[in-house]
Amino acid sequence: MKVEKLGGKAFSYIEFTLDPGQGVRTEPGAMASMDAGIDVMANMNGGFFTAILMFFFGKESFFINTFKNLSQNPQKLVVSKCSPGEIVEHKLEGETLFLQPGAFVAGSAGVKYKLSWAGISSWLAREGLFRIRCYGTGTVWYGAYGAVVEREIDGEYIVDSGHLLSYGEEMSYTIKMSGGIFSSIFGGEGLVLKMQGKGTIRLQTRSVGGLAGWLNPRFTRSGGGKLSNLLDLFGSR
Amino acid sequence: MQFDFIHKPCNTAVKITLQAGETCTTEAGSMIAMDSHLNVDTSTHKRGKRGILKSLKRMFAGESFFLNHYTANTESELWVSNPHPGDMIKVDLLGEKLIVQAGSFVACDENIDINTGWQGFKSLLSGESFFWLSLSGQGQVVLNSFGAIYEIDVDGEYIVDTGHIVAFEESLSFSLSKAGSSWIQSWLGGEGIICKIKGKGKLYCQSHNLMEFGKSLTPHLLPKVRG
Repeated sequence: MKVEKLGGKAFSYIEFTLDPGQGVRTEPGAMASMDAGIDVMANMNGGFFTAILMFFFGKESFFINTFKNLSQNPQKLVVSKCSPGEIVEHKLEGETLFLQPGAFVAGSAGVKYKLSWAGISSWLAREGLFRIRCYGTGTVWYGAYGAVVEREIDGEYIVDSGHLLSYGEEMSYTIKMSGGIFSSIFGGEGLVLKMQGKGTIRLQTRSVGGLAGWLNPRFTRSGGGKLSNLLDLFGSR
Repeated sequence: MQFDFIHKPCNTAVKITLQAGETCTTEAGSMIAMDSHLNVDTSTHKRGKRGILKSLKRMFAGESFFLNHYTANTESELWVSNPHPGDMIKVDLLGEKLIVQAGSFVACDENIDINTGWQGFKSLLSGESFFWLSLSGQGQVVLNSFGAIYEIDVDGEYIVDTGHIVAFEESLSFSLSKAGSSWIQSWLGGEGIICKIKGKGKLYCQSHNLMEFGKSLTPHLLPKVRG
């Protein structure tokens, strides 16, 4: 399997060249385009109970796609994330990597992928009810909105909610307020994640929630006047 | 006319160098800077041709109603860019027709004819716009995208997820289909309907999908207050 990371850090996308019989697993909807000799299979990820919970509370689909080259020639598959940003590659050699909901892009054949319970407090902090546990031997590709920043941690570290991407198996986080009551409400940070343990964490420099928070006050609330609607119609988009 | 792209693929802008007598047509609102002695002319149609109907049709294809025409008396430069983060490419047309998705047209030289076509009712289901632009003639065209643009030489069949097509040569045709061998698998796997491109020719795809990014942003936006 040949793997090429293209598009720079802002629009990372991955081009897999699959040899006959080879496969790769991806997040549902991650495929941008592919050769016609590739087949796709959707597999349920986790058990029935997880599926029900995911249906009501989850941000992720409880399916995972397997793309397989069924032809006799090498076939290409292009995969990306919906948000503009960097995709990083992570080689697993038996250890476990935890991914936040929405970060997973693709995994090679030897990587196992399980949804695991992250807890109600994680859900309250809008980090989702589940996290993704990747383990096994192979390569995982996961991505960000914005660029990816890596930090080595030994002890405690604070990350704003919505910015965590991945962390190692000897780590965990709890939810807390960013400061006192006043600073948490008015300081714009709200709830933060307190990471504990030893290992590497990866963060994304932007968050979709942050973009929306910045955009919201800039939309015309009243729907504009008739004239401005008319100008919108004729003006550039 | 010369096109120089900078800051690809995210913050792409293009410097268009015009020689005396040359005219460049751009989508309204895409100019960011230019030499002060360029003549600007705004119209609903291509120079020397009538076409209010054409520009109404163009609006349905997600483009602006007006086009701007920049004409140079001496060598001058014109900078054009996207309103959103994205890539731009130049395509040389040698007489063949190029079908362009709604909103992706940026600029062209005076030898290109801009028309609005449609690809049938399947466009409604494909996640693409109902109307497409069709560019023809012998000249240069600049297109934009959300995400990086990559080129595929199709010979036979190729599969593109809906919302990822930027443009394709008219020698190619597309039909709606499923990803893989089963409809159920395609739906469950979140790919749903995909576009199957057939024939021989060039296809331009965008790595990212603006609609999908919009979907992930929408739950965070506040509802609009009617007033």
